[in-house]
Amino acid sequence: MSALAAPAPPHAGSDRRAPSRGIVAMLAVIVAESAIFAIFVVAYVFYIGKSLSGPTPRQVLEIPYFNTVCLLSSSITIWLAERSLKRASTRSATRSAMRAFTAWWACTALLGAIFLAGTALEWRKLIYQDGLTVRTNLFGTTFYSLVGLHASHVIIGLIMLSFVLIFALTGKLHPQHRHRVEVLALYWHFVDAVWVVVFTVVYVIGR
Amino acid sequence: MSSHEERPEAPDGFVALPAPTAWPLVLAFGLLLIFLGVVTSAAISLLGLVLAVSGGIGWFGEVLPQERHELISMEAHEFAPKSTYRAVSRIHIDAQHRAHLPVTTPSVTAGLKGGVAGGIAMIVPATLYGLIAFHSFWYAVNLLGGAGVADWTNPTMAQITHFRLSALVTAAVIHAALSLLVGLLYGATLPMLPRHPILLGGLFAPLLWTGVLHASLSLINPFLDQKIHWVWFVVSQIAFGMVAGWVVAKQAHIRTQQYLPFAARVGLETPGLIAERHQEGLDQRTESGEEGR
Amino acid sequence: MADSTLPVDRPMELPGDLPGEQPGFTWLETLHTWVTTVDHKKLGLMYIGYALIFLLVAGVEALLMRVQLMVANNHFLSPEVYNRLFTMHGTTMVFLVGMPFIIGFANYLVPLMIGARDMALPRLNAFSFWMTALGGFFLYYSFLGAVGLQGAGSAPDTTWWGYAPLTERAFSRGHTMDYWALALVMSGIGTIGAAVNVIATVFCMRCKGMTLFRMPLLVWLNLTTAGLILVTISPLTAAQIMLLIDRYLGGHFFDSQAGGSPVLWFHFFWIFGHPEVYVLVLPAFAIANEVIPTFSRKAIFGYPAMVAASAGIAFISLGVWAHHMFTVGMSAPGNAFFVLSTGLVGVPTGIKIFNWIATMWGGKIRFTVSMMFAVAFVAQFLLAGLTGIMLSMAPWNWQLHDTYFVVAHFHYVLVGAIVFCIFSGLYYWFPKMTGKLLSERLGKWHFWLFVLGFHMTFDFMHIPGLLGMPRWIYTYQPGFGWEKWNILVGVGAFVQGIAILLFSFNMVRSYLKGAEAGPDPWDAWTLEWATSSPPPPYNFAIEPVVASRRPLWDQKHPEDPDWRYE
Repeated sequence: MSALAAPAPPHAGSDRRAPSRGIVAMLAVIVAESAIFAIFVVAYVFYIGKSLSGPTPRQVLEIPYFNTVCLLSSSITIWLAERSLKRASTRSATRSAMRAFTAWWACTALLGAIFLAGTALEWRKLIYQDGLTVRTNLFGTTFYSLVGLHASHVIIGLIMLSFVLIFALTGKLHPQHRHRVEVLALYWHFVDAVWVVVFTVVYVIGR
Repeated sequence: MSSHEERPEAPDGFVALPAPTAWPLVLAFGLLLIFLGVVTSAAISLLGLVLAVSGGIGWFGEVLPQERHELISMEAHEFAPKSTYRAVSRIHIDAQHRAHLPVTTPSVTAGLKGGVAGGIAMIVPATLYGLIAFHSFWYAVNLLGGAGVADWTNPTMAQITHFRLSALVTAAVIHAALSLLVGLLYGATLPMLPRHPILLGGLFAPLLWTGVLHASLSLINPFLDQKIHWVWFVVSQIAFGMVAGWVVAKQAHIRTQQYLPFAARVGLETPGLIAERHQEGLDQRTESGEEGR
Repeated sequence: MADSTLPVDRPMELPGDLPGEQPGFTWLETLHTWVTTVDHKKLGLMYIGYALIFLLVAGVEALLMRVQLMVANNHFLSPEVYNRLFTMHGTTMVFLVGMPFIIGFANYLVPLMIGARDMALPRLNAFSFWMTALGGFFLYYSFLGAVGLQGAGSAPDTTWWGYAPLTERAFSRGHTMDYWALALVMSGIGTIGAAVNVIATVFCMRCKGMTLFRMPLLVWLNLTTAGLILVTISPLTAAQIMLLIDRYLGGHFFDSQAGGSPVLWFHFFWIFGHPEVYVLVLPAFAIANEVIPTFSRKAIFGYPAMVAASAGIAFISLGVWAHHMFTVGMSAPGNAFFVLSTGLVGVPTGIKIFNWIATMWGGKIRFTVSMMFAVAFVAQFLLAGLTGIMLSMAPWNWQLHDTYFVVAHFHYVLVGAIVFCIFSGLYYWFPKMTGKLLSERLGKWHFWLFVLGFHMTFDFMHIPGLLGMPRWIYTYQPGFGWEKWNILVGVGAFVQGIAILLFSFNMVRSYLKGAEAGPDPWDAWTLEWATSSPPPPYNFAIEPVVASRRPLWDQKHPEDPDWRYE
């Protein structure tokens, strides 16, 4: 109330800039998600080599180099897209910067889609050629759960990415929306970072 | 302030607040139906999916391209907080009022001296008891020493009342070690007991540890437990406590680190602070002068 | 998140269409405002009301169980029903009573205390509430909808921690466990959403001058709790997903026949389960941290130490979970680690107890009902902590694991500490939430009856535990010396029930014709008392500016303001 502002003490409140609530909230979500992934990773590591029957990871898993490169490079393209959007909001050459943003953003979505398609192909091979399903053994249970958990995050990310892409293509996205795009990009970086862990655990340590 | 990043400007007398919306509820209900379908039938899940998607899209509509706000009229009513208490008083805690970290303490040798004196004093009633009850100088010694003599199982009364070297040595070691240790403990703890050090150290502490011994001795040394006469035992413990406490209290005290100001204790080189002894007291404020309660 | 200079490109609703605020609106319109609200105060009240309803439900479940146990060889309840009751009692009290209470208080108070107009993410706030609420109703729908072993509708019956492999398809046929797992996933999503919101609110919405170290301790503790929720509830959600994969997709996570390990579930559950205790108790501490200084008329003693101790408790609590599992057969170093880490929790907790006592020391204490509950909390929490230390000793634990001693210990924490603090908070903030004071006379009856009932029940419950009475048994043979204790425990439970009915009556009566509270009935110092009771939708007409931890003290004592000392 008004009375509260009355006798200003010498060191009242310095005008600080509060952090963006979108970024803070997304960081909190990332912490929670990391905990979920951590539990699944622990389960995977705990069950390495404990399957009672085949197939074993070494027999059926192939290291998805191409997929990994695609997903990790999408982190770079989304960063470039963010940078373009930032330039668009400060510079006069907004149009060209927005075009650059759309291009990089489309690249990101495409790379994500390639990753997802790669995972789908890998699963098809595992299910139909090698006969590995969730029911087969502990390896199947933990593998599909962990990689599937990550893939579902990629799918959510891709849906959001395509929304932004549609808005950008139809001209509804403005440089003012930069902060929201940053929040989404943060999520995408997280999805990529988790892949590094999943890749290490599943394809390097577990194989 | 950037905390209200998206809050639009509101005309005077109004404030822009996030508009109410049912879409979060629709999304949550959709998710509920999806889950319910898992345990009942897929059709319900399908309905839930439709609801959840529409809830999500509706939610997007709320925040894109701009978050939806509604204007609410605002009455700026004056509120001047007033207390029923008129004055602020201070609870001053004297710098000397230190229950736990004494400013001065007896030296280590004072504790040792107290232990020796107490140990000697304790022998008097213990031996007196042996002499009166059994006409034997060695009774108490043998009881205490019996603990450490392995071949001495179920001794007869005659054995207990007569001199035995191994029992004497054992008893002397136990008695000396315990006396010195308790003496040291007195030296360390008595200055922490703010009032009546003689009462607490001389009377209460022996009573306390006698109680503990009484409860646990049947496990530690059943033989001693059977033969002990607890009244005399308490008397000899109090004799120890009184004498040890008195001797310790009489010794000259030395200053502890607590005498130094905080800055010096933690090793800061701040000459200005070290001079200000009076600031060591702890100030807390409370309200006083209640009115109309 | 555009700049505030951005033009508003959609018309804002004109004011005046605010049904429910003025008299004369139909109940349907009132309902509509509550259902569609994104206002943190309304949502906070809904959380608290929801928790109160389920408190009564789970309380009735507890009373039924106590009736069953009052005499030996009783056949009041069948074993199946008894199993469902203790499972639902535990699950309800933790997820549908404890969590909504603490989140409700956080929702209501955090924005007011930091001088904000709403939570950072108001729509997420509404979504979180509805997820939690619908999750609870979903769980209770299992009484009707789930087909259990007997073919009839039945509720989950495998204890509130659902130990594998009992929860696997092979042993829990029907859908009871699915209801349980899915309901917890739902309310878990809601809880995580609420925690995200509290964190974003505290970091982004503080008013001018409200630095982190000027925040009231309640806000600090809720921030800590929110952080703890993020890393605590998520493992539970993950474990429930694994359980569902096992049950629906035929996975083998906890299926011992295929090499899966039920012990993994124990670990995952207690990685959630133990910090969960602190998720519940830290906000209870938070309430005591506000109530005790106000009624002692002194600033909280050792504010930085309290903040540090809270963070310390949250941190240590993440490393103590396996003290629930000493009888599982861990290695000796494993046991030793968890014994020692559990003992370590005593250090920050002890700091807190000393600080509360030091806050009261020398103050002009006013024994309102709120303060009485807070003081009782301090004493009872100390006792609960002591039996906790006893149980954290592995050999002692081996002896008493799964006996009523353990039940008595954790109810001492959950009721003696958390419920007492919640009552303290309700008496303290009810005037702010409704504008009416709760009756102190009825409140004193409530307090003394509840204290009496609490101690009758939970003090005496330790003894059959020491005499070897296991938990979860639906009845027992006479002659073990348990009978008289169980009668006392049962009578105490009913005394508590009467006290809570009295409290409900007090709430309703005071709401209808209680004394007007005014904006600041307790002469308190935090920002929520600087606005009318109940607060307007915008909380503060003019956004406050603060210069110290106790902004209203500075106003009330301009001759001796706090900011001189900070």
